[in-house]
Amino acid sequence: MSGPKSAVDGPLIQRRYVFGLLLRLCINFAGGVGILFVILYFALSRPLPGDYAGVFHALRNLSLFLQPILAVSVLAYALLACGSTSALCVYILHKVAGPLYRMELILDQYRSGATTQTVSFRNDDQIQPLAHAFNLWIGTLRHDRQRWLATMKDAERHCLQDEGTCRAKMEEALRKLEKDMARYH
Amino acid sequence: MRNRPRLRLRPRIRYVSPRFQGPAVLAFAAIVATGGAIFWKLVDGAFQRVFLHASIRGHYPFDSSYDIVRDLLARHLAGLFVGVFLSGSVLVLLIVAVTRFGIGKAVDSLRASAEGDLSTPTGSTPVGEIGRFGGKIDSARSHTLASVLKIRSEAAALASGGISPEEFRLRWDELKHRIRRIAP
Repeated sequence: MSGPKSAVDGPLIQRRYVFGLLLRLCINFAGGVGILFVILYFALSRPLPGDYAGVFHALRNLSLFLQPILAVSVLAYALLACGSTSALCVYILHKVAGPLYRMELILDQYRSGATTQTVSFRNDDQIQPLAHAFNLWIGTLRHDRQRWLATMKDAERHCLQDEGTCRAKMEEALRKLEKDMARYH
Repeated sequence: MRNRPRLRLRPRIRYVSPRFQGPAVLAFAAIVATGGAIFWKLVDGAFQRVFLHASIRGHYPFDSSYDIVRDLLARHLAGLFVGVFLSGSVLVLLIVAVTRFGIGKAVDSLRASAEGDLSTPTGSTPVGEIGRFGGKIDSARSHTLASVLKIRSEAAALASGGISPEEFRLRWDELKHRIRRIAP
């Protein structure tokens, strides 16, 4: 089997999709950092007392409160950024995960012997060549199946003649079938 | 009665596949959490030093503590953004590369199947959802190969002769039935 030849039917994952994902990720992380800035700004921008001693004590005491302030602000940032990134991941990656899930269902159906329909993804879904390759395989199998059945039916037509000719034609058809199936390995 | 336009049935595609999206979400969350933790550690240390230094300087030309750390905070926030975004971008490119490789192999294997090669393994990445998907394709291909080989051996056995006409007819019909079951 040769290396990936998916470029023949177009890219598996479009460049526009990747750039869109990176852009949304950039906006998402920038938003998270912006929120962190706003929290820290409001925590640190309280005016210092006017007198010398007041400023000194305020700055010394700020060191004590700095850790909880930072902890809360970083926690808020992490929760917001994680939440929005997770939502973004689910929203963006479903264009790959959805078709994969659908293909898995179809492969399970195929294995169980149920009628297999041709696969089509939505226009904006990624990995479209996968559906084309699967349809090509199933199409070839169906074409071969029809040809094998036609060969057998053709042999059966000779059964209107005598028994010997019928049997000979059937055996000839079976040999043809066996030869034809040899391409599957 | 009004004739309603017939709705075109769309293929049902689920939006959430935890096996595929879950690890990606966790990886992004880990990047954000790590970035936040590093930011916290660095900013805490730097701010402690700066505020201590500012308090003992004895000259206070600022209105709020924000004025003292404005540049430092901006630098660290920029560092946090760049670090998290670059790590996230690398992760995105990694996911895309793994998906391209794994699905590319699956596409190749399906194309090879159309040419009759049902035995060469797909060879997609052995881990994760893509690897499992490659296993499913291989399973479907080997199932088909087993059916075809069974039909082929039965055809060879029937063609070799020495079977009574009644038994031949029965096995012939069974063979047709088996062929009909390929890619129904």
